[in-house]
Amino acid sequence: MGRSILVTGGSGYFGEILAGGAVANGDRVRVFDVNPPAGTAASVEFVQGDVRDRDAVRAACDGVDVVLHNVAQVPLARDRELFWSVNVVGTANLLVAARDAGVGKVVHTSSSAVFGIPDSNPVTEKTPCRPLESYGRAKLEAEVLCREAVASGLDVTIIRPRTILGHGRLGIFGVLFEFVADGAPVYVLGAGENRYQFVHAADLADACLRAAAREGPAVYNVGATEFGTMRETLQALVDHAATGSQVRSLPVAPAAAAMKVLATMGVAPFAPYHWLLYGESLWFDVTRARTELKWEPAHSNTSMLIESYEWFLAHRHELESANRSHHQSPVRPGLLRVLKRLP
Amino acid sequence: MTPDSEAPGVAVVTGAAGWLGQNLVRALAGERERVRCLVHVAEQAPLLEIVGPSVETVVGDVRDPATVDRLFDALGPATVFNSAGVIHPEGRTRELFDVNVGGTQLVLDRARRAGVTRFVHVSSNSPFGANPTPDERFTEDSPYNPYLAYGQSKMEAEQLVRRSYDRGDLATVIIRAPWFYGPFQPARQTRFFSTVRRGMFPIPGPGTNRRSLSYTGNLVDGLLRAEVADAAPGGAYWVADAEPYELREVIQGVRDALAAEGFTVSQRQPHLPASVGNAAAALDAFLQGRGLYLQAVHVLGEIKDTIACDISKARADLGYEPKTGLVEGMRASVRWCVERGERI
Repeated sequence: MGRSILVTGGSGYFGEILAGGAVANGDRVRVFDVNPPAGTAASVEFVQGDVRDRDAVRAACDGVDVVLHNVAQVPLARDRELFWSVNVVGTANLLVAARDAGVGKVVHTSSSAVFGIPDSNPVTEKTPCRPLESYGRAKLEAEVLCREAVASGLDVTIIRPRTILGHGRLGIFGVLFEFVADGAPVYVLGAGENRYQFVHAADLADACLRAAAREGPAVYNVGATEFGTMRETLQALVDHAATGSQVRSLPVAPAAAAMKVLATMGVAPFAPYHWLLYGESLWFDVTRARTELKWEPAHSNTSMLIESYEWFLAHRHELESANRSHHQSPVRPGLLRVLKRLP
Repeated sequence: MTPDSEAPGVAVVTGAAGWLGQNLVRALAGERERVRCLVHVAEQAPLLEIVGPSVETVVGDVRDPATVDRLFDALGPATVFNSAGVIHPEGRTRELFDVNVGGTQLVLDRARRAGVTRFVHVSSNSPFGANPTPDERFTEDSPYNPYLAYGQSKMEAEQLVRRSYDRGDLATVIIRAPWFYGPFQPARQTRFFSTVRRGMFPIPGPGTNRRSLSYTGNLVDGLLRAEVADAAPGGAYWVADAEPYELREVIQGVRDALAAEGFTVSQRQPHLPASVGNAAAALDAFLQGRGLYLQAVHVLGEIKDTIACDISKARADLGYEPKTGLVEGMRASVRWCVERGERI
């Protein structure tokens, strides 16, 4: 208790939830972000800065016991240069500053994108990393840096979350929720029999905070323990919504090709990660997190998808004007609206 | 083996973010109080500093006097490892002379003024061209015969280093390293692996020409020996793997390393007529005569040659012994790629 915790990216969707979790634990919390946090907890100190600015990062690490590092350009940014300068060089800036400031522990939020499409499931911490696109490669490069920092004396733990959901999480899901709310069909690739796992933001924050309290470097894969196929998950959502929305199949290859073309033209909100992974199975064996961190996720795939959807319904009309991060804003569906009008 | 001096607590590395530099800095970081690194681009600084608290960076161009002044500011006794250099310039050959010759001149001058105790300079096989016969090996007595603009620039740099020693300015050692392989490889080497894996790497002629290669780990050992060996100052040494390889053995070594690391490897070996290599070499010479540079033409023109050296003198004077062989070193390179998710 009473540790001084720095949350980088603490104004983003997940960072804010994580900062809130640390405050609830009784920690002193400092947020480092380019944007001020929306929810202004009076006890949170805000330091404005860019992770690419070494001096700003050094100042932010001063007097800190634990760093929870969440700054990242997410796949939707679709900008290889930004993936490099923010996710890789930014992480190096943070790790060097933390080491030099004598920080006792860094928890680095990585991504399941480091695995690409795995040869087999479940994916464990020992599964080889074979990222398929520039976002995943940058996140893997950042993990390599974490290991180098460990070798030079810093205690760094890596957390790899599956796709994050929870109230207030939108991003690409905003499109899905809009379709469901308006009774339009939603689509899976092929039969939708691929097993796809989410993780609730609150469960992930719990894992990060537990990792922060555990001495020694480690890697943990983190995802829900109750989850099914993509079709089952979406079916549960449309059943819950009862708007007449139905789950339909799209043929895999043409749909992936269309996602790529539309995204490249800038008329649909997809990143390579989406068209490569949406139809594939990727799920974690979370045994290590459960045993070593005594971590137990409270949310299932369907419960968190429904929770996110309900939040979307309640806030739909306020969302248009807000200026927030990729994962807090609804993305523009662009040409995808055409799909809504199909009979 | 000759007696050694003690290495000073401070090392200066130019070209620290390069292929060799990255390996050298990692070898020095845990051993020295300070490793001061010159890096060209600001983003490279934290990526090197992460290696250890002893690593300091100076960001700037080796051609810029103010930058090199900062590199030598308030140092105390130090060794310089001068590994900054351009091998494949972008488009025009001018950069080879500006960086490899001009940069070396500047670093030599500031090192002298800073009272540097030893200056280890990284050179190349290129000032010596190709062996005149397939069985010849370059020794420290081989005459200069620079191959095109890069060879000319590295020869001129060696001459500056020697002159500095002859004047009594610095205790210099020249290390001549042929074709590298090893971790922290540039994208062109990963493309080379990928082309070999798919059975698409063409050999002009039979591929029996010999090439000396230097695994970066072996080369780092050679540089560290050059820093302390008492017999070294004023000398120039060939540092490479134990024996030269036939070109076709090098390609097979890459295949074996990839297979040992779990890759599916094509055993197909396309051959080009030897005349294609000669034509490429002629085109390269024509272009470079006009100050122009095309990497693919240069590589194709050089690959047919025998470029082999004898490391006996480095063994005798420096106590250098190469520890890593071809397949083992190539495997380390492949693992380095795999760890970073690079596709081969």
